[in-house]
Amino acid sequence: MKTHGTSPPRLEPALGALLYHGTILASAVIALGLALAVGFGAAGMRVATVGLVLFILLPVVRVAAMLIFFLRAGEYKFGAIAALVMSIILLSFYLGAP
Amino acid sequence: MHGGLELWLFAVALGTSMLGGLLGMASGIFIVPVLTMFGRIDLHTAIGASLISVIACSCAGAAPFLKGGLTNVRLAILLETATTCGALCGVFLAGLIPTRYLLFIFALILLLSAQQMMARRKVPSYASDRDSGYSVERLPLGMTLMYGAGLMSALLGIGSGVLKIPAMDTALRLPIKVSSATSNFMIGVTAAASAGAYFARGDILTSVAAPIALGSVLGAVLGARILMKLSGDKLRTMFVCILLILSAQMMLAAFGINLIERAP
Repeated sequence: MKTHGTSPPRLEPALGALLYHGTILASAVIALGLALAVGFGAAGMRVATVGLVLFILLPVVRVAAMLIFFLRAGEYKFGAIAALVMSIILLSFYLGAP
Repeated sequence: MHGGLELWLFAVALGTSMLGGLLGMASGIFIVPVLTMFGRIDLHTAIGASLISVIACSCAGAAPFLKGGLTNVRLAILLETATTCGALCGVFLAGLIPTRYLLFIFALILLLSAQQMMARRKVPSYASDRDSGYSVERLPLGMTLMYGAGLMSALLGIGSGVLKIPAMDTALRLPIKVSSATSNFMIGVTAAASAGAYFARGDILTSVAAPIALGSVLGAVLGARILMKLSGDKLRTMFVCILLILSAQMMLAAFGINLIERAP
């Protein structure tokens, strides 16, 4: 499988960067929401809720990133496994709603 | 009083996540008992908030392990098929199992954690840390244990490191640092699978979960920093005591006795 650079892109550091920046983003949104809640009440809480949703989605995005990486790298077996994990998570979201 | 409660939640999450980080586990196992018994927060709300904390701890702590090459991401995604399946089942059971049984199961898990912490993890002779060609063994047993870990995670709002790490140490025979790093990587996805369902059900209250999330991120980062500078023995003994006390408390609560004064 050909890749862009001379060495193949490594999956692990990319996932590390994704989780690191995702954590900062979600935390910042939650902190902003809580700060706004002091002044504006419910509206601020809604912003904080968005931050919580970002946190819940972050690991799901991580699975999606792995899925894309495996498919691009031609590792179809692991691509299929990632797709399976993704569908179980989405099924849980779907069935969990009342 | 509303700002006061949030500060208290933030402090609880900060403290428990830091302690969790020191022990290489997520904070859920401490957060749920503290919230229900000292904060008088409903068990399902506590579990929902705890799942957020587990995700936050997992994501906040993952990067150094990934960059250091300790996390086995391919094994993780494979085992996640089992943990997310377990989480899916746990989400359903959580709605069906009466609260006092949940408290009882939780007490047992706390006891198991205390026992595990006392018996220090030994370095197996066949495994050296990091790469150097370790192999993954006994996968079916490992997958079964992972299913159980996912189930408990969704049921109790914990990271289930207590079940995942022995599964990887003894069933799969991975080096210790690899199993810790891989477990940390996996608990986020497992918790996310159930947290989404809890959120959809309205069991994740922003007023509780938001301060918990912030405290957890900060605690996880600080805990990991301190971990590098501490020898664990005294800490370990202290934790075994805390776990035993929490376990006894939850056991009593399961049988309807609560020593801490509680609103009717």
